[in-house]
Amino acid sequence: MSGADERKVSSLRELSPAIEPARDLWPQIEARINAERSTAAPPRPARARAVPPRWLAAAAVVASVAVGVWIGRSLLPAARPAAQSPISASRANFTDAPTALDVAYVPDPRYQRDRAALMKTLQARLAALPPPARAKVMASLAAIQRAKQDLQNALGKDPGNALLQELLVNTYQDEMRVLTDVHEASDPGRGI
Amino acid sequence: MGFSRLAAAITVLFASAAACASGDRTFERQVPAQAHGVVDISNVSGTVVVTGWDRPEVSVRAALDEGVERVDVSTDHGRTTVKVVLPHHGHGGDADLHVQVPKDSELTVSAVSADVATAGVTGVQRLNTVSGDITAELGGSDLELKSVSGNVKLKGHGQPARLHVSTVSGDVHLEHGAGDVEAGTVSGTLVVSLDSARSVRARSTSGDVHFEGKLVRGADFDATSVSGDLNVRASAESGYAYEISTFSGDISNCFNATPSERGHMPGHTLQGTRGDGAGHMHLKTMSGDVQLCDRK
Repeated sequence: MSGADERKVSSLRELSPAIEPARDLWPQIEARINAERSTAAPPRPARARAVPPRWLAAAAVVASVAVGVWIGRSLLPAARPAAQSPISASRANFTDAPTALDVAYVPDPRYQRDRAALMKTLQARLAALPPPARAKVMASLAAIQRAKQDLQNALGKDPGNALLQELLVNTYQDEMRVLTDVHEASDPGRGI
Repeated sequence: MGFSRLAAAITVLFASAAACASGDRTFERQVPAQAHGVVDISNVSGTVVVTGWDRPEVSVRAALDEGVERVDVSTDHGRTTVKVVLPHHGHGGDADLHVQVPKDSELTVSAVSADVATAGVTGVQRLNTVSGDITAELGGSDLELKSVSGNVKLKGHGQPARLHVSTVSGDVHLEHGAGDVEAGTVSGTLVVSLDSARSVRARSTSGDVHFEGKLVRGADFDATSVSGDLNVRASAESGYAYEISTFSGDISNCFNATPSERGHMPGHTLQGTRGDGAGHMHLKTMSGDVQLCDRK
């Protein structure tokens, strides 16, 4: 303030309630920001920047599963020995461990759960059968196991073969039928 | 008294003495039943013979050895139940049952190692055994049969019905069947002869399948096996379109068609049409051989 305009302020009430700035600075500020944006690197698309990391993780899991199934279908069966010893074959008859093909062809969790439950009680159910029937059922389960093994080996050589895939699914169904029949036949509360 | 009569008398005498010595008992009971009622029979070991008759009653005659506690016969609201009861402890014993039922009854028989035979029953039959063999006469109604290791013999009279038969290791022989047949086995052999088939579904894992019969117009025939052979002799007045595929088995036929290979991949296929091609036939194996003939 220069001399003529200069006066002594003794109270806040003496000041003007609204004091406009001498000049509007915002247009200059905005122009400067825009100038800086135009000279910087072009921005990436908003969609690409918005992908959350969890989607990337999910995609990686799907890719891993696909590769795993492919390995199971095309590599594992071929890598298995063509002929098993009788002892290992008989042990394999009642194994509950799912193979890579089990995972590839029988993804239904209900099926897996039902089969696991039937396999858990199979030995006890077999023991309840008359000895001749028990021997025949065990031979039939071994035949199913061999059929699954043969089909898996063949699918290892020809993974896309629809005939083999259909026969393998049939064999899984037949195995469930046998397990269910044995379960019912040895159940004292059913039928007898 | 001639020698043969004397020998017969002595035989009966010894048989009676043996039965008394072993503790065998007989059981007889008749109860009224409805002409189209339900009859349920269960037995563990021994035999079950069921015959149909024209009377509205169920008659039970049984020979029981000492391991059998009793036979319960009850009837309630058209359902008659015949049950061989074994003691809770002990090895149990044989019971030989002969049951006569109204011929139109709906019959259910459940057995473990007992052999089962039915004749003259024209109603629906449901027969189940674990290791017992089953012999049944088909009476024109539906049949549902299941056995684990027992062998099965079925004889029909060419009357159409729905037949559903499954075994684990038992062999199945069906003669003069007709209608819709669904048969499955794991390691047993299926031998099926049909006078007229509308649909056939046969499936095995390692057992062979033999079919002989006549297909009605537009019939569907589907047989699959993993390592068993398929031998099909099926005629049809209006013919059928056939499709055979095998991964490593051989295909042969009686009409000089040549199977084709799947390029550089293993496997053979044979497709074509016999006659007008009204029906459909699909035969599939992994390593089993396939034979098809369009003549019985």
